[in-house]
Amino acid sequence: MHVDIWHEVTESNVGKAGLILIGLMVALAVFAPVLSPYSPRENTDTPAFSRPSEEHWLGTNDARQDIWTQLLYGARTSLSVGFGVALLSTFISVLIGGTAAIFGGLYDRFWMRVVDATIAIPDVIVIILVAAYLRPNVLLMVLLLSALSWPGGARVIRAQTLTLKERMHVSAARTFGASWSHLLFRHIIPDLGPILVAMMIQDARRAVFMEAGLSFLGISDPSVMSWGKMMQYARVFTYLEVWKWWLLPTGLALSLTLIGLSFTGFALESALDPRLRGRGESHEGGI
Amino acid sequence: MKTTWAESLMQDLEMRHLESPKVGWDVQKATAKILAFLRRGALFSNHLIAFAIILTLNFLLPRMMPGDPFQAIYGEEALLAMTPQLKAELISRLALDQSMSQQFVAYIVALASGDLGHSYFYNQDVLAVILDFLPWTLLLTGTALVISTILGFILGIESGYRRGSGLDKTLLASLMFFNGFPDFFMGIVLLLIFGVVFGMVPLSGALTPYSGLEGLPLAIDILHHLIAPLTALVLVRVTSAYLLTRNTMITTLKENFILTARAKGCSEGQIKYRHAGRNSLLPVVTATGLMIPHMITGALFVEIVFSYPGVGWLLYNSLLTRDYPLIQGILLMVTVAVLVTNLLVDLLYSKLDPRVSHAR
Repeated sequence: MHVDIWHEVTESNVGKAGLILIGLMVALAVFAPVLSPYSPRENTDTPAFSRPSEEHWLGTNDARQDIWTQLLYGARTSLSVGFGVALLSTFISVLIGGTAAIFGGLYDRFWMRVVDATIAIPDVIVIILVAAYLRPNVLLMVLLLSALSWPGGARVIRAQTLTLKERMHVSAARTFGASWSHLLFRHIIPDLGPILVAMMIQDARRAVFMEAGLSFLGISDPSVMSWGKMMQYARVFTYLEVWKWWLLPTGLALSLTLIGLSFTGFALESALDPRLRGRGESHEGGI
Repeated sequence: MKTTWAESLMQDLEMRHLESPKVGWDVQKATAKILAFLRRGALFSNHLIAFAIILTLNFLLPRMMPGDPFQAIYGEEALLAMTPQLKAELISRLALDQSMSQQFVAYIVALASGDLGHSYFYNQDVLAVILDFLPWTLLLTGTALVISTILGFILGIESGYRRGSGLDKTLLASLMFFNGFPDFFMGIVLLLIFGVVFGMVPLSGALTPYSGLEGLPLAIDILHHLIAPLTALVLVRVTSAYLLTRNTMITTLKENFILTARAKGCSEGQIKYRHAGRNSLLPVVTATGLMIPHMITGALFVEIVFSYPGVGWLLYNSLLTRDYPLIQGILLMVTVAVLVTNLLVDLLYSKLDPRVSHAR
């Protein structure tokens, strides 16, 4: 049975909602300079802690900076970390998982061992530890998060490649003496499309979450805007009314990004898992 | 004959983690026995390797920093106020005046005797400081883990059993929505709503200081402080157990034994919980184990929001005061906790699964 997975995702309500949310956040991040006349660190002429108004949609913070602008630029950081980790970590997963399945033997066993051990490591802890010593920037964050999130994906890719390897077109290519890179990138990856996207979404979600959490802890690049940092900062002023347009919108933006990613991921996974498919049939009438 | 047997054994061992746990395997008793043993051994060594990696990181990071490793270990601020005697004592304790390999040996020996270093900020041994704060974290994480697993399990069964119904859709949508909230934001929202706006829960701490309460009033006071952080954690973390139970439930309901149960005339409740539910329990237990690291990190963040005096709050403050020995000690303790619980869950798993325990 041929299933059009993309169609199924865009058809389902959950998938639609997720894609719309992601699209919205990406648009906010990309068009940030168009959507706001200020720059995130600019000290405007409006008094500090002013309420939302025509000029300042979400008011100003203690340093007279425009909160709406900071929110937009925070989206850029979150999404670029998410996107960067998704790409890098999936790439490593494919490379390790794919080659482990193709080569097999000792090489395979070695890498699976590494995967098993890395999965057991609590990742937040390692990142906090490393970041406490090396002052982190965005690139280091992406590298660290990717280094800790690839093993889960590598396991999945290996399992998929093991079955794909036996398919006719792959064994035909092998007979013709195709190199492993040719096999991997020309024959195996194209067949893994939806699974790779599902993995990327999962990685991105985790990365966005971790970036916000770590910057909430104060572990972040001081030169960039970040939602976690904004919330950490705004939290100090909960005794004032400002939390309504400072703390809440920031947290909501972060949550909506995460919800968008998990909804899309959920729709994709239910489309991919044959056991969960078939919304229409209900077991109650089924017997 | 022997070689093929060993080969199939190895293959089975390799394939093991690819299969979902519910796939039944009809291998000979003896094979299963060896397999279970090997599997446990492999699992144990994975945790050991992970632990070794963290240890090495803990050891190497401060020593790889440019400049004086002593300064990297204790932080600049602490160094300024330190007396020469204390400094000399700490240097000899860390064996910093010796070669790298000797330092490593000293580090491991100290760890083995429970010496995690000296917190300059608290002027106490790191282990003692952590042990002061640990009970609150255990209380918060433990209750959150138990409640969210049980709640997720029950909701998952009810939701999966009535797949596609209004209840199922509402539960699915709302729980997935809550799951999107990072723990600390959920904590902030609850704190703002119930603490700041309604004034129903205390804004910080784990009990009322100097209240002199004892017995039942004290327990109620602790519960009163616990309820908001606990709710935040459960709301965010219940989803994974829920989704997993729901998915397993949907698959299990298609099995033949459900049909048999219906034919026997079992009541709905019996089918739900004794037949389908019990079979959905295994993956949930495994997932609970996998959830523990997330639960602990979640608790760290929630504690910060509620100024709940647990290890997370301690970690946050030690990051602020740059109390490096304390940071290292906390991270090491958390790692050990996570690894040990994962191992325990795996042992529990083989107890729960009659197929595995039968093989032993």
